[in-house]
Amino acid sequence: MRNSQPESPVSSIGERLSGADPRASITQLFESMRPDLLRFAHWLARDRSLAEDIVQESLLRAWRSRDALKDQGAARAWLLTIVRREHARLYERKRLELVSLDEALESQAPAKAADPESDLFTLRNAIMRLPIEYREPLLLQVIGGFSTEEIARELALSSTAVLTRLFRARNKLRTFCGMSPVPDVSTSEAAP
Amino acid sequence: MSCEQVRLQIGADPGRSAPELEQHLQECEFCRQFRAEMRILDAKIRRVLDQPPVSAGMPRFTARWRPWALAASVLLAMVAVLGMWLLRPSDTLAREVVAHVQEEPESWLARQQVDAQSIDEALRGAGVKLGITSDRITYAQSCWFRGHYVPHLVVQTAQGPVTVMILRNQHVSARRAFQEQGMSGVIVPASQGSIAVLTQGGGANIDAVTAQLQQDVRWLPDAH
Repeated sequence: MRNSQPESPVSSIGERLSGADPRASITQLFESMRPDLLRFAHWLARDRSLAEDIVQESLLRAWRSRDALKDQGAARAWLLTIVRREHARLYERKRLELVSLDEALESQAPAKAADPESDLFTLRNAIMRLPIEYREPLLLQVIGGFSTEEIARELALSSTAVLTRLFRARNKLRTFCGMSPVPDVSTSEAAP
Repeated sequence: MSCEQVRLQIGADPGRSAPELEQHLQECEFCRQFRAEMRILDAKIRRVLDQPPVSAGMPRFTARWRPWALAASVLLAMVAVLGMWLLRPSDTLAREVVAHVQEEPESWLARQQVDAQSIDEALRGAGVKLGITSDRITYAQSCWFRGHYVPHLVVQTAQGPVTVMILRNQHVSARRAFQEQGMSGVIVPASQGSIAVLTQGGGANIDAVTAQLQQDVRWLPDAH
């Protein structure tokens, strides 16, 4: 929930648990993933405060349905999926694309002068400016480590559509970074 | 594999390697160069995404600021309502259409005819069909716009490419011409929404394309 207190649901639950409780290990596991989840949510939502809320809500959801997690090795992908869906829910409800991107980018301006790697700065802004339909599969691939097929399943798209979106995402980043775009590919974006 | 297939594979995953791909790259200097560039770009993308988007200087709202943030948002909402009243909706719509087209600069570059199936798929999500099959459509995608998927087409004319967006859920009361960011165009009412037609520089005859589309667009009854 957007206005909930920013305490950790995992931590607060964890405080109630005894050390011997098997649930403590999953609490610890979730908590260890928090930085990755926050980074992923932050890139998705492009707003730190919103990202914190998304992760908070996602961890609550994950905790409630923790029995669905059969393999702890799959926890990272599972949690990233929950974060993505939580962001999508908020996005659908509140048109979160309206988050003031210009303000967010302007606030980074002081960092530009101090950052000798200005091309990375440009790229960071370019990724922030990518439309959500291109940014989302790119983040799932790069941060989440998802394969094309896994992204296709998650986004309910065909594999070809995912390849096309990933291609277009990088092609747009080429343009933003001053490189000439290559001609677009003529593939369809049909759902599976 | 064709150059286009190779570009798609490399653009989607520059690190990918497959025998068929490597064979093509041995024979194609352009695709080899493209992969080299994309691998450099991808290394930078991974480096950037390895950090949160804003590392310093970003104002961060904490819980004690939230009541103030809420009050500010109420005030902003009132200002926004006033702003919406002052800004006519169709003007805002034109601006958003232009912004969307600017985000897809590659759409103007496409020269290869899009097959009929791809055109149908781009139209299907919006519950639209075209009464004719045009061999002049060189770009056909289903794009996310104002909370809905809308068809985004580029049609080649003798005077240059023309972009068409079929906006099922956006209603305008009358034809409105606009000029924004070096693009000129019109948004015209249609039976189930509106149609935006725009061009760069104003060379192409957008009125002819608009009139043709108003005749040829078929609105399906059960679209979401």
